[in-house]
This record gives sequence, C-alpha cells and structure tokens, in this order.
Amino acid sequence: MNDGPLIVQSDKTLLLEVDHERADECRKAIAPFAELERAPEHVHTYRVTPLALWNARAAGHDAEQVVDALIGFSRYPVPHALLVDVAETMSRYGRLRLEKHPSHGLVLTSTDRAVLEEVLRSKKVQPLLGERIGPDSVAVHPSERGNIKQLLLKLGWPAEDLAGYVDGEHHPVDLDEDGWALRPYQKEAADAFWHGGSGVVVLPCGAGKTIVGAAAIAHAKATTLILVTNTVSAHQWKQELIKRTSLTADEIGEYTGTKKEIRPVTIATYQVMTTRRQGVYRHLELFDARDWGLVIYDEVHLLPAPIFRMTADLQARRRIGLTATLIREDGREGDVFSLIGPKRYDAPWKEMESQGWIAPADCVEVRVTLTDEERLAYAMADSDERYRFCSTTPSKTRVTEALVGRHAGEQVLVIGQYIDQLDELGEHLDAPVIKGETRVKERERLFQAFRDKEIQVLVVSKVANFSIDLPEASIAIQVSGTFGSRQEEAQRLGRVLRPKADGGGARFYSIVSRDTVDQDFAAHRQRFLAEQGYAYRIVDADDVGEENPAR
Amino acid sequence: MSTEFTEWLRGRTDEQLRALVTARPELITPVPAHIEGLASRAGTPSAIGRALDRLDRFTLAVLETLTLQPGPVTRTALRSLLSKATAGTAGRKQLDEALGTAVERLRDTGLAFGRDNALRPAPGVAEALDPPAGLGPLAADVFRHHSPEELETLLGDIGAPESPGSPRERLTELLGDPAAVGRLLDEVSPQARAALDELAWGPPSGRLPNARREVRAATAQSPIEELLARGLLGATGEESVALPREVGLFLREGRVHRDLSPAPPELEGATRDQALADRTAAGQAFTLVRTVEELCERWSVDPPGVLRTGGLAIRDLKRTAQLLDLPEWAAGLVVEIAFAAGLIAAGGSVDEEWLPTAAYDGWRVKSADDQWVLLASAWAGMDRVPGLIGERDDRDRPLNALHPDLRRPPAAQVRTQTLSVLASTPLGLAPSAASVLARLAWERPRRRGAYRDRLAEFTLREAEQIGLTGLGVMSDHGRGLVRGDGTAAGLLAPLLPEPVDHVLLQADLTAVAPGPLTSDLGRWIALAADVESKGGATVYRFGEHSIRRALDSGHSADDLLAILERHSTTPVPQPLRYLITDVARRHGRIRVGTASAYVRCDDPSVLDEVIADKRSALLRLRRLAPTVLASKTSRATLLDSLRAMGYAPVAESLEGDLLVSRAESRRTEGPPVARTPGPSGPEPDVAAAAVRAMRAGDEAHRKRRRPSRGQDGQVPRSSSTTTIHALQEAIRQGSRVWIGYLDAQGHATSRILEPARMEGGYLTAYDETRAAVHRFALHRITGIADVS
Repeated sequence: MNDGPLIVQSDKTLLLEVDHERADECRKAIAPFAELERAPEHVHTYRVTPLALWNARAAGHDAEQVVDALIGFSRYPVPHALLVDVAETMSRYGRLRLEKHPSHGLVLTSTDRAVLEEVLRSKKVQPLLGERIGPDSVAVHPSERGNIKQLLLKLGWPAEDLAGYVDGEHHPVDLDEDGWALRPYQKEAADAFWHGGSGVVVLPCGAGKTIVGAAAIAHAKATTLILVTNTVSAHQWKQELIKRTSLTADEIGEYTGTKKEIRPVTIATYQVMTTRRQGVYRHLELFDARDWGLVIYDEVHLLPAPIFRMTADLQARRRIGLTATLIREDGREGDVFSLIGPKRYDAPWKEMESQGWIAPADCVEVRVTLTDEERLAYAMADSDERYRFCSTTPSKTRVTEALVGRHAGEQVLVIGQYIDQLDELGEHLDAPVIKGETRVKERERLFQAFRDKEIQVLVVSKVANFSIDLPEASIAIQVSGTFGSRQEEAQRLGRVLRPKADGGGARFYSIVSRDTVDQDFAAHRQRFLAEQGYAYRIVDADDVGEENPAR
Repeated sequence: MSTEFTEWLRGRTDEQLRALVTARPELITPVPAHIEGLASRAGTPSAIGRALDRLDRFTLAVLETLTLQPGPVTRTALRSLLSKATAGTAGRKQLDEALGTAVERLRDTGLAFGRDNALRPAPGVAEALDPPAGLGPLAADVFRHHSPEELETLLGDIGAPESPGSPRERLTELLGDPAAVGRLLDEVSPQARAALDELAWGPPSGRLPNARREVRAATAQSPIEELLARGLLGATGEESVALPREVGLFLREGRVHRDLSPAPPELEGATRDQALADRTAAGQAFTLVRTVEELCERWSVDPPGVLRTGGLAIRDLKRTAQLLDLPEWAAGLVVEIAFAAGLIAAGGSVDEEWLPTAAYDGWRVKSADDQWVLLASAWAGMDRVPGLIGERDDRDRPLNALHPDLRRPPAAQVRTQTLSVLASTPLGLAPSAASVLARLAWERPRRRGAYRDRLAEFTLREAEQIGLTGLGVMSDHGRGLVRGDGTAAGLLAPLLPEPVDHVLLQADLTAVAPGPLTSDLGRWIALAADVESKGGATVYRFGEHSIRRALDSGHSADDLLAILERHSTTPVPQPLRYLITDVARRHGRIRVGTASAYVRCDDPSVLDEVIADKRSALLRLRRLAPTVLASKTSRATLLDSLRAMGYAPVAESLEGDLLVSRAESRRTEGPPVARTPGPSGPEPDVAAAAVRAMRAGDEAHRKRRRPSRGQDGQVPRSSSTTTIHALQEAIRQGSRVWIGYLDAQGHATSRILEPARMEGGYLTAYDETRAAVHRFALHRITGIADVS
C-alpha cells in the first residue's frame, strides 16, 4: 500500500490531501492534465476531462507520464478502466494534424489512416475539405481552419495545429519596466503562451492579466488587436499599455461605440464587434483592416458566440486568451480549446494569495430574517417575481446601512442587480450610483474620485462586474446577484482582491434573505467561494452590530 | 460390442477406474450397474464426443492416427507415424515424452486401450472421429452406391488385375495399394494432380454438378473427369465428389497430420510489473464491488420493471449505465454479475420488478475482499453471456440483459478454460488475445470456432473489468480464484483500501472519507449527507435535504454535531454548523400525522365530556385543539360508538386521501444461486463410491448372465446400447442386419437393412424389404440380430 496524497475516484476526479507532505510535489505532477475543480481547505478536487488531457498533450506530456503520476501518487490502487481511458483519450490528440504543405497550402494529415477515413466520412467535415492528396493527407480550405478544428474536436479527434502563423505587420513594442517589473508568474505565462503559439492564460482577478497581455505584445512586436468586454475596460487597457510599454497614445486606437480608430494597436469591444445592422455584422472589416500579428481576447469566458465564429477565420494569427476561469456557464469550453487554443498557463488563486500577489479575502454571508409582512408578501408573490422580491427586500437596505456604518473610513463598494434597489441604497447611504445609463465620462470621474478616496462608498450595478480597476476597495457588499452565477461571484470577488496599499485583507459580504430562493442561489455562489478555498462564515443580521470589525 | 474392451476395463485397478470416472463424470450419472454397463456407456456417441472434446490437439492427433490403423499398433509404430508430422516442430525426445503422456491420457480416459505393444481405439471412437484428420471417407464408402457394372468398367479402364471378389472389393483393394495409386497418379495430367493436392490437405470433398456422369479414362474431358475415371475421386452424391481416404493418405505421403506440435503454442505478449498489475486489478476489483453495491442501492429504491418476455429493457440498461457512469456493455456485465451472484432477482407484488434480494443484505456487510470473491466466482461459473447484450438473436430479436435467452451452455466452460490459460501464464506476462485464442484452440481443437473465440474474447475483456487481470496480467488474487483454494480473498485484502473511522469536513459542506468507512459511521453519514463521488474515497455533501433526512430519522442537531466532532479529524466548519442548526430550527415546526376520522364540536365542553368518558378510551381519541379531536378508528366506528355513548353525531365528508409513504427500500426472495460444478469433475469420494458400486454390481451380473434369445421368427429385444453397437459394427463391416422396428403407427415390423450411417438419433440404411434408402429413428428399433 502506498501512502500517497492522492485518491483516484472512479468518476475521474482526483482528491488531493493538501496537508500531506508530498502534496506539493503531487500538485505539480497532476496540474498539467487535471483541472482544479474545488480547493477547499483540506482536500482539493481535480478533474480529469478529455479537454484537460488534450491540453496536457498539447503541452507535450504523454499518457505514460499521466499514468505514472496517477499510480505514483495514488494511495489506493488505480482502477484499470481509468488508466485505459486516459491512455485512449490522450492518444486521440494529434492523430490528425493541420500542416502547411509547400504546394497544397493547408492540409490535414494523419498518422492513422483509419481515423482519417472516419472523419472523412462525416457529412459535416466533407464540405470543408479539398482534394485528397495522398492516402494520409487531404487538403483543407484555408478559410475553414477554425471550423474544421471545432468539428474534429466534436468528433473526438482533436487536431494538432502545426500550420503556423503569419507574422503580421511588424511594429516595435517593448516593455517599459521602469519602477515595476514583471512578476515571475506573469513572465512564465507570457513565455508559455509564446512558445505554445496560441492559447489561454488563466490567472485570478487582480493578478495582472493586462500586463501579461502587454508582455505578449512585446513578444510579438507586431500590430495587435485587443478585444475587451466594454468601453471602460478598453480605456483601462489603453492606459495600462501606455504605462507599461513603449507604446504612445497615438499608437493605440479605440474602436468602440463612439470612436472608430484603427491604429497599430487597436482595442475593440465585443459589443461593437457583434453589432448587426440588417443581419450583417457591420464591423467585420476591422479584422482585415490591418495585417494583425496578434489577437488578444480579454475575459475569454465571456466571449460571445459571434466572436467565436469570427475567430474561426483568424486561425492563422496568433491568439492569446486571458481569463480568470475556464468555466463557461454555457459549456463552450471546447470551442475555447479549439479556436483560441489550449490552456498554456494556470495558477491557483490560493497560491497567488499566499505569495502576496492578491489580497486575502474574508467572505461573510449575512442572513437577513424577513419581517412577518415581508414573509407573507413573499409567499404570495408570483414565482417569477419571488427572486426579485426577496433579493430587494427593505430589510437588506437596513443591514447594508449597518455594515457601511461599521466600516466607516474604508472604501466600500455596494454591488447589486436591481436598479431601483441600488437607487434606494444610494439615497440611504448618500452615495453615487453607477449603472448602465451613467455616461462613460461620469463613470470615470466617479471611479477616479473613489480611487482618490474622495468618495468612500460607491453603489454599482452589474456594469461594474468587469474590468474596472478599483485598487483600494477593501469592502464589497453584494446585495443581489444574477441568480446563482459562479462566474459573477468570481468577478465580484475580484473587485476586492487587488492588493491593497496597506497590505490589509479584504472583506466580501453577501446579504441574503433567509428561507427564500435568495438563500438557495446564495448557497450555490457560496459553494463556489468555498471551493475556491475562501473560508466563509455565515452570520445573522442581528449579530452584525456586535461583531468585532477588527477580526 | 467389444468384449475385449469390457475385459480390459474390468482389468483396470480401482484407482484407474476412479481416474476414468473423474475425468469423464458423465459415465457415472447415473452410476451403471456393472462394468459392462460402464463399457457400453463409454462407447455411446455422446459420451465419446464429450471425452474427445476434452482432448488437446496432440492427444487428439494420436488418437486419430491410431484409428486410421487397421489393427492394434505398437507404441513404437505410432511414434514413427507421428514423427513424420512433428518433424519440423519437435525433437525425438520431446515427442517421446509427449506421446507417453498422450497415450497414458487416452488409456486413463478409456478412449484407447491395450498394452503398449497393442494399442487400439476404444469401440465407438473411430465412428465418432469420422472423418479423422480431415481425410475423406474410405474407398468402400465412396463407391458404395456405384453399381457393379460401373465399377467393372472403371476397373477395366485402369487395368486392374483380375481377382476374385466383388468389383467394389477389388477397387478398394487396389486403392489400398500404394504402388497402384502411384501408377494411377502418374497417368493423370498436372492439372488433375494439382486438384488432388488441393483435396489432400484441404476439405476432402467438393461440389461438382452432375457428379454421377459417365466417364471413361480415354475420353475424359477435364482434370476432374480424369480423376473420376480412375477412381481417384468418387461421386458420393448427385452433386458431390470425395477423395477416398486411401488416396488421401498416399498423397499425404504417410503423414496423417500436416504439422503437429507436441507442445502447446507459447503465450506471447508484453511483460509488466506484476506488483503494479496486482494493484491495478485490485483497484478495478474494488470498483466492481462498489459499483454492484451502488446498483443494488439504486434499484432498491427505484427498481426497473421486468419485461414481459423477461429481462431488463434496453432503456433501463441505458439509464443504469448512465447512473453507474459505465459504458453499456460494462453496465450489462455488472447487472448480470449481480444477478448471477443472487443479489438481484425478479420480484415485487403487482408488476414484476428487478429488486435486490435478501442475500444482498448478507453480502453488503461482508468485507470488500469477500464481496469480490463472491462476485467473481459467480461470474466465472455463470452460463450466461453478458457480452451478447444489445445484439440480436437468430430471429432478429434484441438480446436483453437478464433475459433467459442470454444463456449459452458452453459459456462457463470457455470462461473456465480461458481463465486457466491466463492463470498458467508466467508472472507479469500480459498475453495477447490472439495467443490466448491460439492456446485455447490447441487445448480444445474440437471446440474451436468463431463463436467460442468470441466467448473467450468476452472473457478476456470482462476479466479486466472485474479486476481479475490488471494491465492484461493475471493478478495474484485472480490466480487464487482460478485455483479455487480459498486464497483469493486473502491475497486481495491487503491491496484494498482499509476501512477508516474518520472524515475530513470542509467549508464547502463536503465530507471526504479517505477510504471505505467503518460500517456504523458509513451508514450514519450516508443518512446525513449525499454521496457525490465514489472510488477509493467517498465524497459526501451535506445539504438542507440530507440534514433534514437525518433529523427525520430521529437525530437531533446536537447529536449530529457531536457525531461530526467525534469523527472529524478537522474542526467542524462554521458554515456546516450553521447549516445544521438552521435546518434544525425549521425542522418539525409543522407536524403531520395520520388520523382516520375526527370529531369536531364548537363547544369545547362537550369534547371535555367525551374524553372524560371511560368508554371513549377504545376510540383512541387525541385532542388536537380545543374543538377538534382526532381518532384512529374509522368514521363509521366512531359514529356508532358516539351514538352508543348517547351523543347524536353526524358524519362529515372529507376531501382527499391520506398518503401513506412507501417503504424506502424493498427486497425479494431470489432463487437459490446455482452452483456450477467446477472443472475438476466429481468429488473424489463420489468417484470412489461409483467405482465400488460398479465392481459389486459387476460380480453379481457376471454370475447370472445367460445368453438371451428371442422367439423364433421374432427379432430378439435388445438394449439400446447393444443396438447401437451392433449397428456401428454393421456400418463398419458393411454387413446386413435384421431389426425389429415400430413404424409411425406403432405397428411392430421387422426389416432387413444395410446400415449406411448413424447420426442425430437416426439410422440411414438401405431397406432390402422395401428396396429403398430410409431413415429409422433409433429409439423405435426394438431389437437387432444378425441376418444369419
């Protein structure tokens, strides 16, 4: 009997006992082929999925290494069926390859003729292919490079893309490491991406993904297209790039709802790219406007479906995806894998936190008991109104006020879903409210004021979920959310995770109505936090006053 | 009936007879009365067929060679015959040893008899082996249906010397002479020679339209006609020709078999670390045990229905496969194993359902290693073929899991054999499927066939799934299981996770048991939390629902916390503590009970009165509110009793029925698990007793034996074995017999026949009384006698 730290479950999850002396060694060994699913305090759960195994293959690991790691660290015998499955799944990657042929252009080649025949028989694959060149290779229409990769992944035979990239238009860019330096993991991430060609870098919120993007541009030294979620985020990318690289403001263009600049480095929003008039995407020409050498996708997990389709046509360009999580609530992880690329770098949140790169957070769920009248009203509400009702109950406003009062003197963000609730909170707390209709100028003014500590409390709607940089927010109070979205929880937590100037911890409050659907959804989100390794507590609203804020 | 064989048997020592009946258990079911009975039973086609089926390729070849010889053969002669076939594969010494073993084995099993200087096949063997070694029929048989005139012409054409005897005898004699056959072969064209060579080692017969055509050596048109005209080929039917055995043997240049190896083919394959293979197999074994347990647990709550034709619906199998996270074939295997082990069976009161049996409850509390041994031996012994699930039968109906049609009589035997081949591999060898099949084919050549190969392939795949083999290598515990000496569980146990008595509690409301839990804790935690992931460890998740379940079963929140604190190696996380108290806070706020009737009265004082009345004690009234009483008695009784007490109640209608919750899990009685006999045959004491009984019976039998004689003009009645032997003898000699026969109307008739062949319970013979070839049912033949 081994005394390893790992227990292999029959459902292909791996349980890693973190307090074990060989846990670190084991984590390193299994990280390439298993996705960290949950990281609570004692036992971490990794999952071995086909995508994870193919990611490992793409990173140059073979089945033997995987099997060795499993057997070597496992405490109990590893079921044979699982080992066979691992080997079988891994062997599927790379049987098919996309390569460049001197005379035929893009070709699909295979080391296993049977596999090639199998995929050639697929009705969906046939239209993407040209003539058969030899027994083991067939021409592919260059424009279908992305589509065929997507299809082959669906068929279970992911292709290895060795067709290379165009260099794009050269443009000199260097990192300007003056007064700051790339953190080791940022450098590793950028290097890993560059050596892999294309792919996704997974870093927690607040870990400096923008800087990884900047480092990637510096590697490419070519014109770059950056796709971000919204206008605020676009501004921040621009500022960050000016600050961190040799690029000047003139070299960076913004392609948003208001401005349509195309410069050597252009930042566009998803929204603009997906705007349609009369069923036609109006801004597709941006992709062809320049000979881009690099495309950066910010927040890959939010990438909308049309962008995937457009990305399918960009397979000859280098692509880097940046994200905090590969979990997509629409389950399109496979498209990320086939169109943007395999995962190239991944660092667990908790580790970054222990290294001091992101602030430790303390999560507290505050349970509010509804008054009797509220309970009656809740019981009578229509089922589709219930969630709104319980998440905007007036009791929450009272608790929020109490909390803000407790943390007077600290920078507090109040985040919510429903505008009228936020307006009411803004009134009660005497704080400005940022919502969808707030103009960009006004938003930036308020953000700046918050940064400068002129404003201490800011009420924001879900528009602030993404990519705003609020370095000094140490308290976040979530009053309502989009049902049980895990992704949103990660983003909101990210608001307070950025390192604080004073090195102090952050606190994340969720206010939840007891015995309602709000509580059920909260349980879902809280589970996500606990799985990410954040210890959370549940307190009753009545206890908020007595609690010692110093804790 | 060969008396020599009977005498030889009688001369065997008791020990040798015991060996005989142990090797051929069918000879003593039931025990024959005497040695003669034993001899005749040993000579029946079915008994010989079974014994031959057990022979390996070399031993079978020895027996075939033996049957081809006209009379008794010495062992030396036999060796020189065989050495031609084994020239390429084995040296003289190896052949000698192998031959010694083979002859000994044939004698032990009563398939050959006589001393080394006069070996003979046992009676019935030659017929059972016909045609031996892929040779054609004897010339006498090939030309049996040719008219004397035809043969006369043929003999003339080939210039046969004049000699006495019928034309057929003359031709037979000629073909038996190698020099003559050689001469005839020299006459034919090279094409004809090539065709003959084809027939010599291939199937010795072929189809030919108009086979009975008239051909003359001088006017032969084609190579085949050349051969037909010379008697080197003979027409055996309207459209078939065959190569006479004598010609075949000549063409084979004295060899009976083309190439023969006295040793079984080597098993080939990759070599792996045995310890690793053991661990891998153990991991799989543990998974199997857990999977079966999960299956039974699920089915006990939500059992699938039994199809009208028996079996499990395809849809239910798919659902089960999904539930167990297994491919369908593996799910089918698990279901079948659970069924074979008697853990599930069809039952239920209204519609038949597949439910766990009471035996499951016994199995569940055993240790994992014992559980596995039970499952694995049930699998090894079952005569059902889970591998066929999902395929279609001969009539194109789907084969369902648990369906009676999944039975295949040879399944258990093939499985046992395949496992013993695996068990004979050297440590660490993972034999390739092809080499296992080749070995099986060598060991049981008469049982070879695509069908059996499939069964063997299923066995290999399933052995891996069950955890008998790991990485293709037979595991230590697997060998133990095949040996059947009870060591399997002991070998497996140290490889399995040991039970633990603690869990790790985490803030995401999970509990991880880093190994199988001790049964008390396991049961408790299964109540208070839901299983999320299984394997070496178990992950449980606490939720409102599961905590409520624990509270429902009578635990209090303090109980729960106390148990958690006692069994957790880590402090109980605050959210879990909060969850438990929060659920407990709301638990039981609303109370629900059953009552069959109620009493309502606006005046509480009247109800006070009712309760105070002693007669109301029998009504089991309970006061729910000042103006409401609930009662367990029926409304009618309540009405009657209250009237008897002097009140004037009226009945009130009530909408809705009271729901009675269903029992959580159900069980059924399964049929007793059939124990298939192991490959070793009858127990030694049974064999010994059988031999003793036969010896005793034999003595008595010989003392009172008198020749039995029938009445004049009537065919004497004879026993069926005697009849069969006499018929076999007549077929061999081509002689005529007189039989008594019950015709289809039941009239006793007697016929004079020239028997041609006997198969499938029927005798085909030329009936002289009616001048036609007929088929006769063997069981209607009442007696037999020589025509003289």
